[in-house]
Amino acid sequence: MQSKVSDAELIAQTLTGNQAAYADLVKRHQRFVFTLALRYAKVREDAEEIAQDSFIKAYRSLASFQGQSKFSTWLYSVVYTTAMTFLRKKRIATDSIDDEHNFVQIENQVSAYDVNTAESKSRSFYLQQAIGQLLPDDAAIITLFYKGEQSLEEIAQAMGMETNTVKVKLFRARQRLKEKLERNLKHEAKELI
Amino acid sequence: MNNIEEKLWDYIDGRCAPEEQNAISALIDEDAGVRLQFEQMLSANTSFTAMELDEPSMAFTYNVMEAIRTENARVPLKAAINKRIIRGIGIFFTVTLLALLVLVITSVRWSAQGLSVNLTAGFKMPAINYSDAKIVVQAFVFFDVMLGLYLFDAYLRKKRAARSV
Repeated sequence: MQSKVSDAELIAQTLTGNQAAYADLVKRHQRFVFTLALRYAKVREDAEEIAQDSFIKAYRSLASFQGQSKFSTWLYSVVYTTAMTFLRKKRIATDSIDDEHNFVQIENQVSAYDVNTAESKSRSFYLQQAIGQLLPDDAAIITLFYKGEQSLEEIAQAMGMETNTVKVKLFRARQRLKEKLERNLKHEAKELI
Repeated sequence: MNNIEEKLWDYIDGRCAPEEQNAISALIDEDAGVRLQFEQMLSANTSFTAMELDEPSMAFTYNVMEAIRTENARVPLKAAINKRIIRGIGIFFTVTLLALLVLVITSVRWSAQGLSVNLTAGFKMPAINYSDAKIVVQAFVFFDVMLGLYLFDAYLRKKRAARSV
């Protein structure tokens, strides 16, 4: 059985000019980077642009990666800064994403489904929907913690925050996500009745 | 942060010290309210762990690599020029100038009446026709002034363009 090549080996190969090695790195991390970008951009096209820009920036500054942290942690910090720059350019008010107006819109979307559609929706769908209703930073922290295999210290490093701030944010994000998930699932139950 | 909730999340995440872990475990066993809260949090945690990652478009990797290839191909001429060549040209001119300078200095005859230059044998200075040379010098100075103005104009344009971006 062929053993999986590590990120460090792929980086070393990329630095010698082997672009195929970088393509492998992109393939390996693209789903997570795209999901993370989607937490900020909310629109697939924008998220894809952020993810693509992040990989290009990472390629450009790959030589400066010291290997002191995990490559994924370093890459997520690139995604975070790229997303922030993108949002600033697009002048999106990230604070308003969690407001009541948006929530009503999403609620209406759910109630527009007929019973059969609602039945076919998995718990995962409602979880994704609930994550979409969180503040971008909260959604990103939840994603990094649960799917990015990142510790609180690594998340803090990627997002340029204090570890304690990340801990508090994670605590609040989980509470909010739990509430929103329960609310959405309750709504689904009503639809089914 | 709610103290007990914070402790329960730390317990779920496995971030507690062994003594604290035992204390929370005992609290969950003893207190029905805490147990219910813990079960709800554990269920939420299981849901969060099952979160699915989104998939970018099929051509994502291709697009990234294509963008990198295009960017590499578009390296400006300034960066593409081999610095060793530039350095070589620089060294050639420096050595030539230094050799000329040494030649001139060693050929100078210092005397009380003044100084005269006697270049090494066999080297004759070309005879200059001063009436023709005047026109050549004027043309040379005119060309230099025009070139200077042109370069200064190009510099100012570049500066203005950079300021407007």
